[in-house]
Amino acid sequence: MSEAPHRHAGSSALRAAETPVPEPAERKLRCAARGIEKSFGATKILRGVDLEIPEGTFAVLVGPSGCGKSTLLRLVAGLEQADKGTITLAGRDVTNLPPRDRDVAMVFQSYALYPHLTVRENLAFGLKLRGTPAAEIESRIREASAMLGLEKLMDRLPKQLSGGQRQRVAMGRAIVRRPTIFLFDEPLSNLDAALRAEVRVEIRRLHDRLGATTLYVTHDQVEAMTLADSLWVLNGGLVEQKGPPLEIYERPRTKFVATFLGSPQMNLVAGKLSKEGGAFWAEGGGVRTRVDEERFGDALVEGREVTIGVRPHDLCLAKGDAPIVAELKVEIVEALGSEAFAHGWIRSSGPTFVARLDAADARSVRPGSAIPLAAAPSAIHLFDAKTDRALGD
Amino acid sequence: MERSRAGRALHALLAVLAIVATILFAPACSEPPRGVVLWHPYRGGEEAALKKVVARFEAERGVKVTTLAVPYEAYLSKLEAAIPRGNGPDVFIGPHNRLGEYLLHKLVAPVGDALPDEDVPAYEPVTVDAVTHEGVRWAVPLASKCVALYWDTRLLSEPPRTLEELAAKKGALGAGVWPLAYESHSAYYHAALLHAYGGALFDGGFAMIGPAAERSLEKARELVTSGAAPDEASGDLLKTLFSTGKVAAVISGPWLAADLSDDLPYAVAPLPEIEGVGRMRPFLTVDGAFLSPDGAKREDARALARALGSSESARERAETGKQVVATRAYWARADGERPAADDRHAALLRAFRDASADAIPMPVSTAMNPVWVPAEQAIRKVLRGDATPKDALAEAKARYDDVMRPPPPSPSPAPLVIMIGLGLLAAAVAIVRRVRAPGFRRELEASKPAYKYVAHAAITIFVLVVLPLLAGAVTSFFAGTRDDPRFVGLANYVDILTARGKPLLSHGSFYLTLLVTVAWTVVNVTLHVAIGLALGVALARPMLRLRAVYRVLLILPWAVPSYVTALAWKGMFHRQFGAINALLATLGVEPISWFSKFSTAFTANVATNVWLGFPFMMVVVMGALTSIPKDVLEAAEVDGATRWQAFRLVTLPLLKPTLLPAVVLGSVWTFNMFNVVFLVSGGEPDGTTDILVSEAYRWAFARNSQFGYAAAYAVIIFGLLAIMSRVLGRVGGGEAKEAAS
Ligand SMILES: Nc1ncnc2c1ncn2[C@@H]1O[C@H](COP(=O)(O)OP(=O)(O)OP(=O)(O)O)[C@@H](O)[C@H]1O
Ligand SMILES: [Mg+2]
Repeated sequence: MSEAPHRHAGSSALRAAETPVPEPAERKLRCAARGIEKSFGATKILRGVDLEIPEGTFAVLVGPSGCGKSTLLRLVAGLEQADKGTITLAGRDVTNLPPRDRDVAMVFQSYALYPHLTVRENLAFGLKLRGTPAAEIESRIREASAMLGLEKLMDRLPKQLSGGQRQRVAMGRAIVRRPTIFLFDEPLSNLDAALRAEVRVEIRRLHDRLGATTLYVTHDQVEAMTLADSLWVLNGGLVEQKGPPLEIYERPRTKFVATFLGSPQMNLVAGKLSKEGGAFWAEGGGVRTRVDEERFGDALVEGREVTIGVRPHDLCLAKGDAPIVAELKVEIVEALGSEAFAHGWIRSSGPTFVARLDAADARSVRPGSAIPLAAAPSAIHLFDAKTDRALGD
Repeated sequence: MERSRAGRALHALLAVLAIVATILFAPACSEPPRGVVLWHPYRGGEEAALKKVVARFEAERGVKVTTLAVPYEAYLSKLEAAIPRGNGPDVFIGPHNRLGEYLLHKLVAPVGDALPDEDVPAYEPVTVDAVTHEGVRWAVPLASKCVALYWDTRLLSEPPRTLEELAAKKGALGAGVWPLAYESHSAYYHAALLHAYGGALFDGGFAMIGPAAERSLEKARELVTSGAAPDEASGDLLKTLFSTGKVAAVISGPWLAADLSDDLPYAVAPLPEIEGVGRMRPFLTVDGAFLSPDGAKREDARALARALGSSESARERAETGKQVVATRAYWARADGERPAADDRHAALLRAFRDASADAIPMPVSTAMNPVWVPAEQAIRKVLRGDATPKDALAEAKARYDDVMRPPPPSPSPAPLVIMIGLGLLAAAVAIVRRVRAPGFRRELEASKPAYKYVAHAAITIFVLVVLPLLAGAVTSFFAGTRDDPRFVGLANYVDILTARGKPLLSHGSFYLTLLVTVAWTVVNVTLHVAIGLALGVALARPMLRLRAVYRVLLILPWAVPSYVTALAWKGMFHRQFGAINALLATLGVEPISWFSKFSTAFTANVATNVWLGFPFMMVVVMGALTSIPKDVLEAAEVDGATRWQAFRLVTLPLLKPTLLPAVVLGSVWTFNMFNVVFLVSGGEPDGTTDILVSEAYRWAFARNSQFGYAAAYAVIIFGLLAIMSRVLGRVGGGEAKEAAS
């Protein structure tokens, strides 16, 4: 595999390795969508979405099924027309251009390989259409096939390939094009779990190596968290939150984002703020905990109705004099080896509640028993009971 | 258990076969009914009259008469099927000119004392002539049919005396009104002119040759070119023209009167004279009462035949049945009675009777049948001005003689036997090889149950497809007419493949016809696929409104029976009255005589067949399009393809596997598309647009029933199609198989 097949890729890969992802403003935008609205018939799918993808960024679009992720991707590709809003690619307004004039490459969920063409012909298809010289086509195909390990498969038809191989061909078809932006629509969803993990890493590696700009749609949070430089959470036709994935994980700005990311889901109970001895407490549904005053600041008002959120991973068995946040009536214990999840409830009338336990601690926990849970105040999330927005943002 | 079920199935099958056999052969076994059986082709008034006559006979003689009305179209074949088995009629009424066929199949016996010498003067002499063949009287003449002149009493004050006088009325009649109309392309109608000049169609051979025939053709052409008569007038057209006062006189038979409104002011007169030549003399057909060989032996049957001709019967048949009866006594009495002046039907009958006096009985020989086609080809050629009468007639005679060429002497069957023997040997070797192949026994054993399931289909295919095929193949080794087949080995094939000894691409040769057929197939299938593709793709677009409506509309041509469509298109291509010329006229194009040139006639055929054939391809394409994943096309779009590129590079290759079998099927259908060629151009001009099947048809049914020769054609067609399917399948087969899954 030739390192630095073209200068651009090499330098970009270098830069990606050296510095953390810079702020968008500092880098040239590869793809920007402004105020995108789109309806199918009477149903409004997108209600004013803004999207900005700087050069070299791996942007991941997540959201619940049917929220319009694929639609947004297809709008960028030109396969759908927006009702309102503009799309620019590499500084060029492409809103009204057909797909062929947008210089994008797309990897479909079904791969959409040309069934009547061999792997080689599949890869060459787009280049031939653009009148690329034969020698250039040849070298690009050689390079891409080497990168993806397709050399032995070049003369096969798609139906003679396994699912993973087809997936690679679909990526190869995109790579040889060297487009302004790569678009992926859930490219891994047809693969089995092991292969998915493998290809996931490979996609990221390729991205870095090519210095590519990528917009990637998924509803798999592991993909979203691991791949993204910048994560865009789409809900109800709007971008609910954007930013580096860890930041979003740690500081979800809405109850929806909080529950959407993280598995098992964040535990939520309705509660109220109170002040005791100069410190703020959140209390409700059998949960009582101190909150991080620094984080929430002025949002902390005594008597305010809130939703208290705490991720299962931020809970642990209360030991020693650690303050007990809640007492969990255990129903089921899921032991995963390195860790375990205890499912149950705090109040029998309340929502289900999950806590992560160390494997050692979990051994003594029996279904039906009650266990005391502890959590650091910094791990407590608070959401306004009415607006569902996070406090302190 | 298994076995007994199979046994039961076998029993059921046998039972069904037994029932079928009973139905098929029961009449043959049943007792002949007592009394006399009478068959006739009459309907309406004629049938009512006959019933009355028969009832009187029954009452007078005390004999039961069973009458059976048999549709005219099936008459001969029913007679042929029934009489030799002994369950046919004793007496049957039929046209005298079928006598040749009746004799050939031994369906008749001389009438004997049903028409004794003393009765002869009671009949119109010409009708007795008609039923007399080689000195023997074969039927009791009942009624005659010939053509006469219908004239419009508004446009003419009296019936024209001469043809020239009538033709001269052109112009005086008003714009768009013809003096005369008749089916000028038909030899039957032309015969009236021919006879006037002293010519004949048939004298034991093709007789329409020589000065008389030439002059008659010149006269016919003069009528058309001078504008005295329209060209290409069909029976329907005549009726319309005459009913709407667009023509002053038409030549037609009694059948036209039945179609004309009673309010129409017209009268009928005998055909006019030709100035300085003589009276036009039409062909005469006489309905006679024939006796079957069994019937002739029965006195009651002979008595019935005689009674049918009696003057009481004649009166009934004339007055109720409106027949132009052959019995003189009736006319003598009717003349005496002086019918009321307004009795139009009486006047009509009288006019036809008068016309029949000059008529010439139709020849009875079966050798007459192959006269019509070449004669009409010559007539059309001359009327179009494509040939002089002399050349056209010489060619027609040559064609007739070629058709009537005696079959070659029976050769020794050795070469054929050797060939068949070799074929069987090769088959046997192939089978032995298969059987000896390892695993064959095991496979056979394993697939045994499967045979049980396909057995009924295999038997059906064998009986309905393979047996007729074999029968056809065997027939092809015989020559001569159907009734006189003679084994000639491979002579038919040799004849066909050597173009009957003429230049290979001469008129009507196998190779020329093959070329036309191939061109026909290629042009049609190409257009079918192109139009089917275009429409299929257009209809698959989700944006199109009213898509379902278009879809149904476009499939409609397919749903209409092809012969209906073909006839409709034929009408649209009519030179003077067709919709297509009318449309072209609005664009300022001169009317095209579609069937007078090969190129236009071929175009007309193609247009019709394309209309018939594109819906099939369209449906195939629409079906195949749904199986192309949408995202593959989107991938092409993203890859930079324009609409057209995506269609050419992705859609089309993906349609190919489905389209290919459809193309093979379509090619086979088109190669054998008899209906369109036969009904639209009918081979016009001059047989040049005939394709192999229609040519085969003509050998079997229009050229002296040379079934052997036609069968050889059919076998060759079969072979060609088998090879073609094979090749087409090969060409696309590989790709088709690959892209199929
Ligand atoms: N062509 C179309 N016509 C009508 N409705 C459509 C069309 N395409 C998408 N939709 C609707 O738009 C909504 C968003 O669809 P989209 O495919 O963008 O969802 P998604 O976020 O990709 O979901 P998933 O994660 O399940 O793929 C869905 O409710 C879908 O039913
Ligand atoms: Mg989607």
